[in-house]
Amino acid sequence: MKRIPSEVDRPLRGRCQTNAASPSLLTSSAERSIHLAVAALIVLAVSAQAAEAIPSKPDRYFNDYAGVVSKEAALRLNEQLAQFERETSDQLLVVVWPTMPSQSSIEDFTQRTFQAWMVGQKGRNNGVVLFVFVKDRRMRIQPGYGLEGALPDITCDQIIRNEIAPRFRSGDYEGGLTAGIDSICKAIRGEYQGSEKTVAERRGNASAPSFLFFIIFVIVLIVISRLMRRLGGYGYSSGRGGPIFFPIGGGGGGWSSGGGSGFSGFSGGGGLSGGGGASGSW
Amino acid sequence: MNKFAIGCGGLLLILLFVVFVVGLFFWGTYNRLVTLDQTVNKKWGDVQTVYQRRADLIPNLVNTVQGAANFEKSTVVEVTNARASVGRVQLDPNKAPTNAAQLEQFQAAQGQLSNALSRLLVVVERYPELKSNQNFLALQAQLEGTENRISVERSNFNGTVQDYNTAVKRFPTNVIAGMFGFQPRPFFNAQPGAEKAPAVNFNFGTPAPAASPAGSP
Repeated sequence: MKRIPSEVDRPLRGRCQTNAASPSLLTSSAERSIHLAVAALIVLAVSAQAAEAIPSKPDRYFNDYAGVVSKEAALRLNEQLAQFERETSDQLLVVVWPTMPSQSSIEDFTQRTFQAWMVGQKGRNNGVVLFVFVKDRRMRIQPGYGLEGALPDITCDQIIRNEIAPRFRSGDYEGGLTAGIDSICKAIRGEYQGSEKTVAERRGNASAPSFLFFIIFVIVLIVISRLMRRLGGYGYSSGRGGPIFFPIGGGGGGWSSGGGSGFSGFSGGGGLSGGGGASGSW
Repeated sequence: MNKFAIGCGGLLLILLFVVFVVGLFFWGTYNRLVTLDQTVNKKWGDVQTVYQRRADLIPNLVNTVQGAANFEKSTVVEVTNARASVGRVQLDPNKAPTNAAQLEQFQAAQGQLSNALSRLLVVVERYPELKSNQNFLALQAQLEGTENRISVERSNFNGTVQDYNTAVKRFPTNVIAGMFGFQPRPFFNAQPGAEKAPAVNFNFGTPAPAASPAGSP
């Protein structure tokens, strides 16, 4: 992927240079640039095919892409999971897809997805994801490294086998997911202490103070440069010192989600998984 | 005379500056190599942990399976032997192997155990009393989880080895790597047949093409 920008870059630069040069050069360069662009496109297509796309991060805790759960229940479960993160800092994510969006094995797919979404707090690695693929009739509970103790493979297997699968078999998806969520929460509660806030809420609030700090920083810089200018002239600098350079750009990088939009948003905390958990079918 | 002294001093300053810059480069590069090396060793330790976890599960599994009435003895013996041969190819868990042949041997022994285990699990399918045994179900779940952890840690290890090897082989880092004896590390190879997704038997009547005996149930 890294090669692509330079491939695209080169023909553009070539064209700019030849604008000032002779027209014959222009045509050959244009041809060259077309060749390069085609090559870049091929590289892009091949790499896109090779690197399978991981589904983008979900924006909430309870994600029903298959439409098996009523809207009210989905919202209620989402709030329950958000509250669970506030209390325990554990991030429990539920994702229900119609089919698995990958050709690979379920374990491989869920592992890579978990890593990409960074479920769980950084350092604690206390995330869990319950993946359900409705038409494949497959599911998997995958905990992060930090919850392998509270949620060993046997427990995951038992939750799937005894709590979720029987209900799914009788078509009760809402009941199965609720029971699964409750069992997982019960198993991992008490492992970690929460901070009363979800990652999304902390990020949303963090942006305000950091922006304030940035403004204070700028004011301090201006004051210092004024003072220096006034003090200057005595062997230090020749009268007008140049302006002190400081980078101008975005202040606090935090982005806010959740709040106001009717549901508590999910934001990955940076957790990792080692591939534990269990898969099952119904 | 004075000019000469100034010239000498200037030369000395330039020389000092060059030495300083070179030293800075050595310092940074060496530290980077050490960090990468330690990461590889750490990941190697993780790989060893998950393999050990599997080995620890086996006595329990063997006991449970043997408890089943007239269970096929040959598959159990095979697993026990494979586990013993794994025990003989112990590598230092704190330092990733530098010798490709050593890693090859380790991998061969572990691969043998994987095959023996999957054969055992296939045989178990014929024993309904085992399949509903809670103890066996728990072991099976643990074993599946461990196999998955093994593949995750192996690929994590390969990732760090790749970073390390790239640093060791690229100019100009390779000069310093050579001076301090940082050697490229071998990777885990994919198991023969592992590049294929595990064969899934849908039992449509026709045998699945290229279904390995190690097909998962």
